[in-house]
Amino acid sequence: MTAEIIVVTSGKGGVGKTTTSASLATGLAIAGKKVAVIDFDVGLRNLDLIMGCERRVVYDFINVVQGEATLKQALIKDKRHDNLYVLAASQTRDKDALTQEGVEKVLDGLSEEGFDYVVCDSPAGIEKGAHLAMYFADHAVVVVNPEVSSVRDSDRILGLLSSKTRRAERGEGAITQHLLLTRYNPARVEAGEMLSVKDVEDILGISVVGVIPESENVLAASNSGVPVILDANSLAGQAYSDTVARVLGEDRPLRFIDAPKKGFFQRVFGG
Amino acid sequence: MNARMTSSRTTNSEEACDLRFGQVGMACVRVRRADAAALCEELERRVHSAPQLFARAAVVLDLSHFLDLPDDGTVDALLEAVRSAGMLPVGLAYGTSETEALAKRMGLPLIAKFRAAYEPANGGSVAPPAAAEPAPRAAEPPPREPILAEPAPGQAQGSMHHDGAVRSGQQIYARDRDLVITGTVANGAEVIADGDIHIYGGLRGRAMAGAQGDTRACIFVSDFRAELVAIAGHYRVFEQIPNDLEGQSVRCWLEGDKLLIARL
Repeated sequence: MTAEIIVVTSGKGGVGKTTTSASLATGLAIAGKKVAVIDFDVGLRNLDLIMGCERRVVYDFINVVQGEATLKQALIKDKRHDNLYVLAASQTRDKDALTQEGVEKVLDGLSEEGFDYVVCDSPAGIEKGAHLAMYFADHAVVVVNPEVSSVRDSDRILGLLSSKTRRAERGEGAITQHLLLTRYNPARVEAGEMLSVKDVEDILGISVVGVIPESENVLAASNSGVPVILDANSLAGQAYSDTVARVLGEDRPLRFIDAPKKGFFQRVFGG
Repeated sequence: MNARMTSSRTTNSEEACDLRFGQVGMACVRVRRADAAALCEELERRVHSAPQLFARAAVVLDLSHFLDLPDDGTVDALLEAVRSAGMLPVGLAYGTSETEALAKRMGLPLIAKFRAAYEPANGGSVAPPAAAEPAPRAAEPPPREPILAEPAPGQAQGSMHHDGAVRSGQQIYARDRDLVITGTVANGAEVIADGDIHIYGGLRGRAMAGAQGDTRACIFVSDFRAELVAIAGHYRVFEQIPNDLEGQSVRCWLEGDKLLIARL
């Protein structure tokens, strides 16, 4: 049996790829799947911080690609979920250390180990690292912020996903594309300062798989090394749970896309 | 890139020449295989299909596809192949220091690359072809018989269909025919046809009809928000889309030298 490979990508940097990778991988693990999440951002290693395992990195992705360590040695088991593993990027090497054959070998190895899902956290840009992260993917989660430059870059990425992946080259059918809108602020959308869900869907021509509201909990979660999906009290965490359910085929309505209506007392006394 | 010299002998007070730098568009032949015969054949086909564009066109030979540069004899043969196809090789595209040495030995100038996109990326680059030669490999139909005569304008050639969106950075070219797009052409995407272009979605990027000079070509768009439209080389860019056209169904056509756009 082969693992389903999901790339989390965006083109633009700083839109929430790593946050999304961490929460998506954790959410899939909570749903009972065996999951590995790989940091492709060689030289700018971040995923281990967000996953809270930075002090347990001994061997990394590059070590495995170059045959200096085995997959088993490099996979870091998540301390909260037994069926979730992290493969960290190397901080000291550069992305030329990644090769297509090496990446394929690692992904095949994960399939043999019985993983259900492999989440590939892509670096920003459309260079080698991003190319290799998406090349073997079966599904893509394209992370986009509600602003024009992010939407433009995502459009470029959607084009590359439909032409520069192994599935496209072999004619095995398009990879499933999921659009995830992050840092969404309904109040600012109403004020006309941000693109709305509908604007983004219109421009890109595909519908969203989830909308993650802008929330300070995301930053707090990142800093403490806990994927935000585990913060069930935060709106962002709940939105990520919904998103994972939709990726797994469940039908859930979009939440948190309207500005909260102020109640009578809030209107009178200020809120 | 090009030095232009203007000699003037009429008055002594003027200097003998002006030395200026100017930018010119130039075709770039990126050689994939060191096979002079195949190169000649391929280029001959191009020259035949668009003699106004390619016959005696100045071209730059780009050898960056080769990991190891071919030897001098082979490069000579390649240059000769370009010449016998009816084009004029004027230099080598800038590559490594070895390319520089090679250019010196050949007595040819070394010309800087036009586009960074030509960098040899891992395996397949995402390079769109140079603007002077709009023929994207991906969208091109399989090799066909060489076209010996230009198609008469309006001659039925069928049309090329593209279902779905054309994404930013993608380029679609319908050679010798009309192009029909059922999705939206995004900002930064390009659709090109030698005939008409029909877009049954939004046009937010660029559309160029009559790419080989057919002035009767038209562009039809269901939802007009274009960056640029062009017909037979006459183009209009839109920094601001006129209010009466934005989001409307429009037709673009050429009247003399004027590119006109009106609601349908």
